[in-house]
Amino acid sequence: MLDQLLAPKYVGWLIDGFYVTLAVSALASAAATVLGLLLCLARLAPTRWLAWPALAWLSLFRNTPLLVQLFFWYFGLAALMPQGLLEWLNTPHHWHLAFFGVRWPPFEYVAGFTGLTLFTAAFIAEEFRAGVRGVPPGQAVAARALGLRPWQVWRYVVIPQAFRIALPPLLGQYMNAVKNSSLTMAIGLAELSYASRQVETETFKTFQAFGIATLLYIGTVAVIELAGQWVQRRRPALGAVR
Amino acid sequence: MIRKFRFLALLALSALAGVAQADRLDDIRKAGVLRVAAFDSNPPFGFVDPKSKQIVGLDVDYARELASKLGVKLQLVPTNPANRIPLLSANKVDIVLANFTITEERAKQVNFSIPYFASGQQFIAKKGTLKSADQLGSLRIGVDKGTTNEIVLREKYPGATLVAYDDTPFAFTALRNGNVQAITQDGPKLIGLLANVPDKENYEIPPFSISDDLIGAGLPKDETRFTEYVNAFLRELEASGKAQKIYDAWFGPSTKTPLTRIFRIGDK
Amino acid sequence: MDFSVIADNLSYFLLGAWPHGPLGGAALTLVLSISSALASGALGLVLGVALATTHGPAHQGLVLALGFFRAIPVLMLIFWTYFLLPIVFGFNVPGTGTVVVALSLIGGSYLAHSVYAGIASLPPGQWQAAAALGLRRADALRHVILPQALPIMLPSFLNQWIALIKDSSLAYVIGVGELSFVATQVSNREMVYPTEIFLFVALLYFIICSSLELGAGAIARRYGSAEKQT
Repeated sequence: MLDQLLAPKYVGWLIDGFYVTLAVSALASAAATVLGLLLCLARLAPTRWLAWPALAWLSLFRNTPLLVQLFFWYFGLAALMPQGLLEWLNTPHHWHLAFFGVRWPPFEYVAGFTGLTLFTAAFIAEEFRAGVRGVPPGQAVAARALGLRPWQVWRYVVIPQAFRIALPPLLGQYMNAVKNSSLTMAIGLAELSYASRQVETETFKTFQAFGIATLLYIGTVAVIELAGQWVQRRRPALGAVR
Repeated sequence: MIRKFRFLALLALSALAGVAQADRLDDIRKAGVLRVAAFDSNPPFGFVDPKSKQIVGLDVDYARELASKLGVKLQLVPTNPANRIPLLSANKVDIVLANFTITEERAKQVNFSIPYFASGQQFIAKKGTLKSADQLGSLRIGVDKGTTNEIVLREKYPGATLVAYDDTPFAFTALRNGNVQAITQDGPKLIGLLANVPDKENYEIPPFSISDDLIGAGLPKDETRFTEYVNAFLRELEASGKAQKIYDAWFGPSTKTPLTRIFRIGDK
Repeated sequence: MDFSVIADNLSYFLLGAWPHGPLGGAALTLVLSISSALASGALGLVLGVALATTHGPAHQGLVLALGFFRAIPVLMLIFWTYFLLPIVFGFNVPGTGTVVVALSLIGGSYLAHSVYAGIASLPPGQWQAAAALGLRRADALRHVILPQALPIMLPSFLNQWIALIKDSSLAYVIGVGELSFVATQVSNREMVYPTEIFLFVALLYFIICSSLELGAGAIARRYGSAEKQT
């Protein structure tokens, strides 16, 4: 029985990979939410100078595979960059901001984060747009009638409501970000899938390596799902307080 | 065939092994097809020929000879380094001919034939960046997932930062882009790679190696008869001079990658 | 940038080694996508109806099973199906089959929930009215419920199918010669054109996915207006 277990060292590799998966997908989700909101606003802007580029951007990132996008950012874009820039990106940099030391990550992380963020943002923008469409138009009209400026209408009336409508699908996109982060192993980012392949390389314990990785992914997605249900359940209560 | 209870999957596996007593050699003959895992991106061992769009190379020539000796059709399954053992253990292929280094650890999972090729683990770097093995501990080095190169480097130079890619050309692209400072693989594979690089004058293979590797065919575990058959086939190929001919076709003096043949089948 | 590398390998990108070898490239991507779109659609419909018509433990079990497929990364499921299924169950699925199975299971699990939501969104009166007309549940489903629910579900089917086309690129991990795989093969051989090659490949996927989006949009509009007329 014991010889079928993974040695602590390899479990450690998987845990490290899991941290990277969590960090990359959390950071990408956060950045994609901000970017997605901006893209959604641009897409809905009254001027076509904003709306059309946003539309083109959205369909480009939504209609091509993440894997190909990652290959492009990592192998393709790097080939276009001036030599010096990439060397700078690849050498470790340290900054000291107050109490925190900030370390510049290797290019795999930059490319993986960029790819995942841009891909996820395009989907999040569409979820927001659906959310905005779900806000009854009378709300905006009423807010205008109350004397709010257009940006205030968005800031205080439309976006908060749209955000609530969009929350469940938004959480779905965060789950996708966690799962999609597994593709970054193709560009050498040492996340969970990468770690499971490495453990397999050294130990040949294919079941154990992939099994643990799969359980960690499913566990993470389940936690997001449960968090979503918890928020959903609290929502009516929130509404009642107001 | 009753093994002690360990793990549900392994139980199923051993039960299957019990059922599947039938010999792989007979299975291949019955099916009329030999399924061979070969590289598709690693000249001159296995790569897609731009004109014929078929996988060709040194390993493929061995595969072809083996299939014709068996009198069956050849089916090539493209593989990257990391998929070689899973392909064998999942019974997706009958034999792996993909620059497969023989190691003790691997021999617990698969059978190996006698070696038919020998090489050492070397490096490619931009000219002037890598002079001696002592530098390795402080570099970012690109490796292929699932290779012995990765394991050896991690063991011998724990200070090195390893970045693992799916295949050698990916690692090389990362080297070209400056994502890593060197990449490592078996020497002949690197020579084959460098021969196809358009700006090869910017790169070099420093003249040191950190391991000596023997390359063999990978076969399913415990298929003794099939292994013996392949061993006999390899010896025969050397005796008839065909092994030399195959070698010359890819590493001979008139090729893009001239390399003196230092190892003959049967040497070890 | 030098796009001659694309022109030189165009037929390999589009068709793989065909007709002198197996079909590959963009054509195989289409084959994989269409088969898994059909399979996932059928699976989603059946499981969605099952979700809508079951109660208690059977329903919970189904939700849990679907949850598994919605939570597992496609890459992991492809690994499991391709390498581990044969070892555990002695059940050998070829590479292309693996991809279709993995994509259909995942797509089907998502679609099941859309179908369920579509059915649940109809007023319960529809079921009751059908029952009052003497229709059995199966007939009510077929003639009353689904015809109304399917147009509601169309957008999610579409999104899922577009996701599926893109996810077929993950077949590269097990050496299935679809578009991304042949593209990396060429990129690996030619070495210095990754930008050109991946831009071109992205363009091909973009064309495939956008035409599906546009085509289905047009059908939905026509279908939608036809609905209103009747």
